[in-house]
Amino acid sequence: MINLVVALPAEARPLMARYRLTDKTTLGGFRIYRNAGMSLIISGPGKIAAAAATALLAGCNAAGEQAAWLNIGIAGHATHATGESLLVHRITDHATGKSWYPPQLFDLATTTASLLTVDRPEESYPQEVAYDMEASGYYAVAARFSSTELVQCFKVVSDNREHSSAAITAESCAQLVTQSLDEIDPLLDALSALARDQDRWHAAPAGLEQLARQWHFTVSQQHQLAELARRWKVLVPDQPLWLNAFDNSKKAAEVLQCLQQHLDALAPGPLQAIHEPRV
Amino acid sequence: MHWLPARCRQYTNPVFNIIYIERQVADHARTREICARFPNATRVECDRYGEVFNPKSQNFRLQKRSPSLILAEKHKGRVLQAPDGYGLGGNRNYYFSHMLNCLYDCRYCFLQGMYRSAHYVLFVNYEDFENDMGTLLAQADNEPCWFFSGYDCDSLAMEPVSAFVQHFMPFFSRHPQAHIELRTKSTQIRGLLKMTPIPNAVIAFSFTPEEMYRTLEHKVPTLERRLQAMLQLQQAGWQLGLRFDPLIYQHGYQAQYRRLFQQLFSQLDNEQLHSVSLGTFRLPRSYFRNIVQLYPDEPLFAGAFSTDNGMISYPQAVEQEMTAFCTRELLQHIPESLLFPCTLAA
Repeated sequence: MINLVVALPAEARPLMARYRLTDKTTLGGFRIYRNAGMSLIISGPGKIAAAAATALLAGCNAAGEQAAWLNIGIAGHATHATGESLLVHRITDHATGKSWYPPQLFDLATTTASLLTVDRPEESYPQEVAYDMEASGYYAVAARFSSTELVQCFKVVSDNREHSSAAITAESCAQLVTQSLDEIDPLLDALSALARDQDRWHAAPAGLEQLARQWHFTVSQQHQLAELARRWKVLVPDQPLWLNAFDNSKKAAEVLQCLQQHLDALAPGPLQAIHEPRV
Repeated sequence: MHWLPARCRQYTNPVFNIIYIERQVADHARTREICARFPNATRVECDRYGEVFNPKSQNFRLQKRSPSLILAEKHKGRVLQAPDGYGLGGNRNYYFSHMLNCLYDCRYCFLQGMYRSAHYVLFVNYEDFENDMGTLLAQADNEPCWFFSGYDCDSLAMEPVSAFVQHFMPFFSRHPQAHIELRTKSTQIRGLLKMTPIPNAVIAFSFTPEEMYRTLEHKVPTLERRLQAMLQLQQAGWQLGLRFDPLIYQHGYQAQYRRLFQQLFSQLDNEQLHSVSLGTFRLPRSYFRNIVQLYPDEPLFAGAFSTDNGMISYPQAVEQEMTAFCTRELLQHIPESLLFPCTLAA
């Protein structure tokens, strides 16, 4: 799942068209647009709105599914030309001074830059950084729901010392995002791949759900079952999680014992399995 | 897929697209030298390395695909007392880490469970480490002190970037009472070969059998290449150590370890071996949980483990069998005086 957090409708429109985000819902005053693998929320301006929208979108994600996040929007910059795309390597909240550092794992053509989230539109650009009004709120919240490698921030320069923010219109804003779509695409591809990898690593073995429904497992037993299911997936990869001996089990504890004994009898020989070096 | 290109996967010469730099070391000579090696890297300043390295929501496994470099200053805790049971016969044992995180990616390594980030942190204030060692040496009053390197990183793997050996070996040359172990899986020995060997340094190479190396020790030079590096060092006059730590269990391990020992001892000159040590696989439970969360699909962690005093290890019977077997096999090649089993308290 990819979650896009965007401040303005004008920023959202090119993304909705490009990725066919046609399924619209409204929750808590926020508009959300979706397709099968992507959601976009329009937060409104400001970091508090961005934080709220991010949290709402996180709540809408399916439990256990890994989500990648991308905040896309316009930003000012002291010296970068308008229309230039920036992938953010440091986000600083101007009010608190706190900084976040989205890990940069991708080899992309996009220039990286530091970003300062301010509470009022910046007009003098005193530092050699990008300026926006949402990123710190978005990032602080998104990083609670996904690992930070999956949480990124992409900005398009809309104003600088030569071109005032006062000249920005909805049309020019949409145009800036449209012009950056060829740089946004590979970033989204890379983020999707990371999220899919994580989903694959953590996918439960077939049969676990049925097992969990058939007996009553306490919370502690659920943790034990999850751990045994993990081992099952490695040691018995091609079979759903089931043993004939379970038919005789009246209680969850018996199921766990049976499963543990079966797995311990298989291990520790698991290194016999030939694996290609993983990344 | 838009990962960093293949040239960046030559782990003998890593390339960084981002270098984070603590503001207080931005003008340090070592910082400038290192940054000059990577002119295309983006430099990102931070107040303290912990801002980048410590945040919770990081995924070590994902970051290991493309770690960045962080240049920082180590303010305290630079040279620490080694745990009881860790040593090579000396009474004063210390460890120090000029760097956090390792170029290699061994699946059994505790670093994956200890650190949230896979970025490399290089502490550029080497002189402060030396001052701390000097203080300890003065307190020791001529009693030998051992300093173990290679706890939080590989001692040699990043030498082209860190110049760690180049800087520290002259200190040990000036202080014959101070002994250093450089633990490594690397073949970056050029710097050592250019130096005059000193008798108070041990270059200790870690090995597992070929079958385990291929499955578990990602990005590590081959067994044969490491052996060749050892032979070159030995010929140059350096003291060498062999480290079989951790011992990894699998069906057939006896034949595999036997073959490994045969391969090594048939070529190395025992007269120039300083020490051989072995230790069993064990991890603090919290580290093990973290690693399993990162690598739920790793066969190594699908086995049956025991928990004792907060440590995860093989069942005691397995540990004892492995240790006894490997000890017996090793003693067919070396005298008992060279063998130092690692007896870390749980």
